[in-house]
Amino acid sequence: MTKFRHLIWMVIAAAGLMLSVSHGLAQQPDVGDQPGLLPDDSVELDPEWQKQMVYYRTTEAPGTIIIATAERHLYLVQPGGRAIRYGIGVGRDGFQWQGLLSIARKAEWPDWTPPPEMIERQPYLPRFMAGGPGNPLGARAMYLGTTVYRIHGTNRPDTIGTKVSSGCFRLVNTDVADLYDRVPVGTKVVVRQKPEL
Amino acid sequence: MRTFRGGLLIGLAVAVAVAAVAAAYELYDTRTLKRTVRRGEVLCGVNKGLPGFSIPDDKGNWTGFDVDFCRAVAAAIFNDPNKARFIPLDANERFKELQSRKVDILSRNSTWSMSREENYDLYFPAVAYYDGQGFMLPRLRKIDSALDLNDSKVCVQEATTTQLNLADYFRTNNMKYQEIKFGKLDDVIKAYESGQCDTLTADVSQLYALRLNLGKPGDHVILPDVISKEPLAPVVRQRDDDWMMIVKWTLYAMINAEELGVTSKNIDEALKSKKPDVMRLVGTEGSYGEDLGLTKDWAARIIRHVGNYGEVYERNVGSESRLKIPRGLNQLWSAGGIQYAPPIR
Repeated sequence: MTKFRHLIWMVIAAAGLMLSVSHGLAQQPDVGDQPGLLPDDSVELDPEWQKQMVYYRTTEAPGTIIIATAERHLYLVQPGGRAIRYGIGVGRDGFQWQGLLSIARKAEWPDWTPPPEMIERQPYLPRFMAGGPGNPLGARAMYLGTTVYRIHGTNRPDTIGTKVSSGCFRLVNTDVADLYDRVPVGTKVVVRQKPEL
Repeated sequence: MRTFRGGLLIGLAVAVAVAAVAAAYELYDTRTLKRTVRRGEVLCGVNKGLPGFSIPDDKGNWTGFDVDFCRAVAAAIFNDPNKARFIPLDANERFKELQSRKVDILSRNSTWSMSREENYDLYFPAVAYYDGQGFMLPRLRKIDSALDLNDSKVCVQEATTTQLNLADYFRTNNMKYQEIKFGKLDDVIKAYESGQCDTLTADVSQLYALRLNLGKPGDHVILPDVISKEPLAPVVRQRDDDWMMIVKWTLYAMINAEELGVTSKNIDEALKSKKPDVMRLVGTEGSYGEDLGLTKDWAARIIRHVGNYGEVYERNVGSESRLKIPRGLNQLWSAGGIQYAPPIR
């Protein structure tokens, strides 16, 4: 009897697994979130996504963060018409909001509690995950206003420059740590979306 | 005798008049569009080989930023980007060849300057690419501003404006430097690679091309500072305003398209847009194309066949190319750069 019950459970589990796999195949394969995966530090970013000082003309004050989602770049404005540019990964969809936010909170090696909207879309995600190298939020997180969105690190450096996240902005861990040390809580964050037709 | 002299005078007057008309015809060509349409193709004067800007492959297919601009003009007129013929021109002969009507348009990394417009009766309709002088140095030096280059040994090509700009920049900013100069660019690069100098200076677009040929391109950075003005622009003959307008607004249509988010991929969607500025661009509202002597959909043709400014930039010299030149000055004015097109309205 226990054997039989065991078997039933296995069948249900297998069916569940198949369902979730087919679900994943039917939609886009979700390469953005792989909780538990340790980051591959040997991944070298394409020059386009490497942190660098660039020419940048803006009326925003030095210290402001400007996120250009269509370009997959995050700019930290510097004095003298320049900015430190980081490569980022951005949302598949979801974060269509444009305008001004500010950094409400900062955390090192943050814990991860996927918001309910995300669980609904990706039910296989854990309900909670403690901070660490395998955590998809990576080494640092900067929380944007009262939204569920953040600027954070990643355990998937190969996703920088792509459109994969659920709306957050991800940087490689060395870059997010670098940015974290440069910006205080209260920093202005300007988010720009590509224009709509 | 008197009648003979009179006849001579009349003959002379006629000859002078004919010569004057001929000279005026030579100076004032106002029929470039008509001749181009009759011929069925645009004649483009280009560089014979500059990677990223204009270069033929082994089958004679031309690619590059300057080449694509000429194709955009062809697309606007003929709805076919292949109705452009490329004629390689030397730096020395280019302006004369345009003046003598060997080409309809010069799209050949030419710097817009006052003397060039004056001396050759030419006109540079709008800046296609903002180039300028910059610095390359080893990444390990961890310098990210040209103002930190005090006491540097600088490799530079001799007897060029580059050398003069270098002197001006260091003097203006109260910095000392030592010039390591050579007549040939190849020797400048060799000297830099062998460590004879701390930094190499040349036009930024050139630095990115030079970096590709270094042993480890990733070990060298190009500073964001641009210390001189080299506005590269297409060139046309003066006093042919109809043609000049087409060339100018071809470029502006591409820049406006990028600003409005219209690309070669979403052009069909854009044709259904209800946003007034998109409608004016793609020709579903207004008669901007007809007023140019073209069709309503002139700009939609450009975008469909060649792409918007950003697409052309990234494909030829930017992130999708080998050169990988950051947008910098050539980013849109609304996104950190200075590329700015007057509106279509």
